Amino acid sequence: MPKAVKVALLLTPALGLVMVMMSLVIWRAVAQSFGLHNFNGEDVLSLRHWTEMLGTRRYWNALQWSAYVATTSSLITLAIAYPLALWLRKPFAGSFLLSALIKAPYFVPGLVAVFLLLNVIAYHGIVNQALMWVGLTDRPIRLQNDRNGYGLIALQVWKQLPLAFLLLQGAVQAIPDPVLNAARDLGAGSVARFRKVVLPLTARAMQAASILIFIGVAGDFTFQATVGPTRENSLATLMVQYQGVSYGDWNAAAVVGVTLMGLSLVGAVGFTALVQVATRIAERA
Amino acid sequence: MMLARLNTLLAGLLAAVLVLWLLVPFAMALLWSLVDPGTPWSYPDVLPPALSFQRWVLMWETTTLSTAMLNSYTLAPVAAITAILLAAPTAYAFGRIDFPGKGIAQVVTLTPLVLPGFVTAVFFASILVSFGVYSRYGAILLGHVVLFIPYAVRILTVSFAQVNQEVINAARDLGASPLGVFRAAFWPVLKPGVLASFLIVFILSIEEFALAFIVGSPSFTTIPTILFSYLGYDFIRPNAAVVALILVVPNVMLMLFLERLLQSANPANLSGKG
Repeated sequence: MPKAVKVALLLTPALGLVMVMMSLVIWRAVAQSFGLHNFNGEDVLSLRHWTEMLGTRRYWNALQWSAYVATTSSLITLAIAYPLALWLRKPFAGSFLLSALIKAPYFVPGLVAVFLLLNVIAYHGIVNQALMWVGLTDRPIRLQNDRNGYGLIALQVWKQLPLAFLLLQGAVQAIPDPVLNAARDLGAGSVARFRKVVLPLTARAMQAASILIFIGVAGDFTFQATVGPTRENSLATLMVQYQGVSYGDWNAAAVVGVTLMGLSLVGAVGFTALVQVATRIAERA
Repeated sequence: MMLARLNTLLAGLLAAVLVLWLLVPFAMALLWSLVDPGTPWSYPDVLPPALSFQRWVLMWETTTLSTAMLNSYTLAPVAAITAILLAAPTAYAFGRIDFPGKGIAQVVTLTPLVLPGFVTAVFFASILVSFGVYSRYGAILLGHVVLFIPYAVRILTVSFAQVNQEVINAARDLGASPLGVFRAAFWPVLKPGVLASFLIVFILSIEEFALAFIVGSPSFTTIPTILFSYLGYDFIRPNAAVVALILVVPNVMLMLFLERLLQSANPANLSGKG
């Protein structure tokens, strides 16, 4: 059997299946957003669903909200994970336990995380009691579904931190000691070593981490639907509302879905560029 | 000396924070699940006045929890075995054959991981409507296989690459049949990878929410969809506590087992998120 045929046959069951299913799904979303596969009438190729959607406030609010939560969560997560990874580069007494504790939320399903948070921030929950005990407030504050989405962002960071930490820890630990020692021998102080050695060598891990966090948070439905501000929608919750029983408008849902894919792409490209530029500036400064 | 002290202090502080953000929430979940239905736990009681397993019994007898568990635990192993069987040939090609475009092919295999889960779920459901597929079990099974096959491919690729060509040759030279070669040269090396793939797909399938919710609801429930219903409009804290623990405890144990299995491997590699 020719090698090409053999390889093709071997790739079909997994790669073939993934390619067929994922291209069907993506095609379906794009096609429905332009009026094809219309369940509520004739299939007409048109921009109508897009123009209608672009005229609604709900759409723009959801896009803005998803972009805001995803960007903020990614930046905060990286800002916490990176110093932790650097600090835990060299093992010391207890560092293994610390790493394990940081990674633990990775094992907790999102919905369970929501429940854990809801208990902690309940009206008479531990956070409110602590706030009252410290004297920051006289009476319990409504923390659930807070208007600014602080609970939502905190939960996203809690959930995404392990992944960022894992990726960054891998990159930081892969820096060979001789490289750092050589830099030191050549007279580089700790700041210079960080800027010229550590940062460039970990830039790819930072890009990977920020992209994955951004995409994960931008597409969030569960956290927004349970702990997010009730007056906001994420793109995913808006999409499900349009598709769900109350509207049954698949074409509108498709417009939102395609927007969400676009936002993920923009976020991925944006964070890749941001990390690259930041690294370069730090190297030169 | 100063620095070492500072380090110890920092580590202690961080450990305290982490215990607070893991131990306290889980302890509260456990307490809430054990609140006796007859004597509610309310402010200002610091601890529940009476503890019992009554809530667990009630949940089992009066809600659809048992059906949801049956659904979840029959979906997950089938999804895992199907994913492994389909992933193996592709992983063999990735791990043992050099061909042009391999890098691209490997990246394309990961697409289910980067597409937003709810977009996949909604438009997968849309395709099901068009094709008139009404089997919820079959649909969610197919969805889970597609979503999680990248993990199996990724892990098995590493396993196949580790199989020693010289052992294969030796087995052949000694006259082993293809099955004999597989048993002597391949299986011992593949076994941990197969087990790891099974576990990761199993765990992810049990936890998967988007597809099960969009495709399955309202008729077909899984453990995550039932938990979501208790977190939403009818928020019943003790019920949610029971379901949350049923969802998280077995999976954490399996995950710890998986970690041990892949001790040397970086979990970031394993999950394909590297």
